[in-house]
Amino acid sequence: MLFAGLDSLNGSELISPALQSIHIAGFVFSIGTIALTDFSMLGLVLRGHSPSGIAKSLMPWTLVGFTLVLLSGGLLFMSDPDEYYLNRAFQVKMTFLLLALIFHYTLHARVARKDAPSVFARLVALISLGLWVGVLAGGIFIGFA
Amino acid sequence: MSLLSFALWIQSTTFFTELRLSSYVYPIVLTGHIVGIAVFGGAVLVTDLRLLGWAMQKYPIAAIAGQLRPLKRAGFVLVAICGLLMLGSKAEEYYFNVFFRWKLIFLALVAVHALVFRGSVYGRLEEIDQAPHIPARAKAAGWLSLALWIGLIIMGRAIGFVLPPDDLHAQTRSPDVTAVQAP
Repeated sequence: MLFAGLDSLNGSELISPALQSIHIAGFVFSIGTIALTDFSMLGLVLRGHSPSGIAKSLMPWTLVGFTLVLLSGGLLFMSDPDEYYLNRAFQVKMTFLLLALIFHYTLHARVARKDAPSVFARLVALISLGLWVGVLAGGIFIGFA
Repeated sequence: MSLLSFALWIQSTTFFTELRLSSYVYPIVLTGHIVGIAVFGGAVLVTDLRLLGWAMQKYPIAAIAGQLRPLKRAGFVLVAICGLLMLGSKAEEYYFNVFFRWKLIFLALVAVHALVFRGSVYGRLEEIDQAPHIPARAKAAGWLSLALWIGLIIMGRAIGFVLPPDDLHAQTRSPDVTAVQAP
């Protein structure tokens, strides 16, 4: 146990489903808004509006989502670190998460700022969607590993 | 035929038995369910936040709601198909799960919400865009939609925390374990 106080998280029957619900709401905010930018980069939604404007206006809500997800996820992890740390699916999820975050704040951010539709922009959007699906899949498989 | 006997029949079909027993297909279906939730829920969330005047204020409400509709539909279809696949494979367990019943009630309320506000909000978005301020009824629609979605998420997550009854008829993934547990 990393912090003694966190062991009390295991004492309540309500805390795990509560944290997991916050985790889900958090990724609806974060991945939902990123996916919206990706779909606009693919030219599938909000045609006629620039992806850069969409990304910029959704950014605060993406950050709200990241905050919710990281806080609830961190608490879930610390309530049972061994269980997660040794879980193969958790390791895969963290790898996807690291790649997705790096991609989001580097190439994805740079391409989303340019509004000219291009094959490259579409490719970047597809890679972004793929990485986030990988994070979600990894999260689901934790419970099945 | 009662609902329970229908549940018992559908989960015993070869298709749903194989789905329940597979260690890969079932979590893949569940992944499809939550990917759909991220897309569908994300599009609904952005529409709600726009109605509240909290996000994408530079974009007309009508453009946001109208152009996100195909995305909501696609996300909903994915969520529903994956949800029905899981329901069929564990129909008996869901039948007895109190939070599954609550989730269905919340889903019904989402439909009621759409019908109730269709005339006053969702069918008159151009009019609302031209108003100097977002009218209270539009904000009410946004708040209620957010509340219903949060309820739906909580009920959905709570389903997994209810222990199923001991005497389920469904063949499980590890028959040895159930054999040991049986008296």
